[in-house]
Amino acid sequence: SGELYCSLPNPRNVHFESTNMKNVLHWSAPEGTADGVLYNVKYSVYGVGKWIRKPECRNINRTWCDLSSETADYEDQYYASVKAFLNGKCSDWVETARFNPLTDTKIDPPMVSVSSTEKSISITLAAPEKWRRSPDGESLSLLQVYPGLQYNVSVLNKKTKRRWFFSISNTTLVVPWLEPGTVYCVSAQIHVTTPLLHSGFSKEHCIATLKDKTA
Amino acid sequence: SVSEIRSGFTAIKANIQARDPVRTLSILSHPHSLHKVKSSDRCCIIHKVFNFYVDKVFKHCQTEDSYVNRKISSIANSFLSIKRKLEHCHNQNRCLCGQEPTEKFKQILVNYEGLNITSAAMKSLGELDILLDWMEKA
Amino acid sequence: EDASLPAPQNISILSTNMRHVLTWSPVTIQGETVRYSVEFQGEYEREYANESWIPISECSLITATVCNITEDISATVSYSLRVRADGGTRGTEWGTLKGFFNRNTTSLTPPLMKVIADGYHLLVELEDMGPAFQFCVLYWKKGQESRMQQKMVKEFTSTVHLDTMEAGPEYCVKAQTYVETISRSSSFSQAQCVRAQGSRSMWL
Repeated sequence: SGELYCSLPNPRNVHFESTNMKNVLHWSAPEGTADGVLYNVKYSVYGVGKWIRKPECRNINRTWCDLSSETADYEDQYYASVKAFLNGKCSDWVETARFNPLTDTKIDPPMVSVSSTEKSISITLAAPEKWRRSPDGESLSLLQVYPGLQYNVSVLNKKTKRRWFFSISNTTLVVPWLEPGTVYCVSAQIHVTTPLLHSGFSKEHCIATLKDKTA
Repeated sequence: SVSEIRSGFTAIKANIQARDPVRTLSILSHPHSLHKVKSSDRCCIIHKVFNFYVDKVFKHCQTEDSYVNRKISSIANSFLSIKRKLEHCHNQNRCLCGQEPTEKFKQILVNYEGLNITSAAMKSLGELDILLDWMEKA
Repeated sequence: EDASLPAPQNISILSTNMRHVLTWSPVTIQGETVRYSVEFQGEYEREYANESWIPISECSLITATVCNITEDISATVSYSLRVRADGGTRGTEWGTLKGFFNRNTTSLTPPLMKVIADGYHLLVELEDMGPAFQFCVLYWKKGQESRMQQKMVKEFTSTVHLDTMEAGPEYCVKAQTYVETISRSSSFSQAQCVRAQGSRSMWL
């Protein structure tokens, strides 16, 4: 392929960053290089012979490349590789570690919505969706990817400062017999047992139970 | 237990997979993916694959790293413990092997024998996440 | 190095709640600081790997006569353990644990727990005993033991919500641990009973 003389230092820290299976290749510029460095990216499916070039990431000057589409099948594992070019020189190809979308992705916290009555609050949860190719592409909840997915729900009574935890697998939770006119703050986390994956806790959603009309 | 195998493997995954330079060949996932195994054949394949790892793979996975060796021992003994349980099922004819799964497993052995023994063993060890992902999926 | 000195004696394992500790009697080697090294051998090593032994680096050349082997006893198979003393110029034979050790013989104690009534809500605070432990929590209205309810707590969280309570009767709770990897449970803790706080009429 008429490779140029490859004496340019290599790109560094070539790795996948993945959230909800949106798999983006990231790297750092070669040591000692300022602006003007261009990069090519290729990837391969582990166990299959060939490297495949990513046309949208050819001669790019940014240091990331979205390979979500190419690594969407989470029953396979992948490698990706980056090569740098500057002033007629090039670096070697630098590879990632083997990337397993199923175990190497991070999971966002669930979406939380809360409503209240005088003496209860109702919590509705939704797992994030797996990355999809386009807004009208097939939507797949992470619940379908990780059948053992559960939610840890934290309910904080702002008056007593007491926090309770619920572990549920369905997406709705009603907490009855609460104190009227009291603020409760709810946050939730996703927990997958196999493979072992946790999301962070969602931000808190606070809501007050209605005032006691008879008081 | 399987989750202990998973946590033991996760601890050494990067180290082990870095020792496998061959990108173009997989022991477990190509050309036949485990994910294409019919559910009725699962027990047979799991039984054969567990025997394969215990009988052939782990003993050739010694490294110079004492921590990695201890984790490999932990995984190997967990495999042995599960293999015993599977044998129990097999002996009660609840884990029979038809021709199709037997052929699929033969392909795994062909892949294994396509490399020298140490490379094949280390590659097989590095593919434990492929096995666990498939086992835990159902 | 001359290994004719007698091996360490009284080698035994203390195992409680899946924490396994190897202990032995000290060895005296005249005029030398004695250090000990520990190795283990699982059933896999015995049957498939030429009876090889694996050193525990945290317990190599230590002066203590205790070694926490929990991290390496990580499968439900039988393990052999051995200890050797080393005095710099002279060392001892290997002393080997009599018989084998299997973690399914660990002794399981009931979990520490605290039952809380928070308004009309029945809660229990449990002790964090590590990832191997699940909890089986039973709760019932006092006097209605036949209508006991169960909640499995698979992953530790500090305050587990059990149920809502009616005003008036006492509610009792007891818990036991369950270790899935050895399929065993502890005995139950002492029951603790509480009553809902505040009178219901205030909120009706």
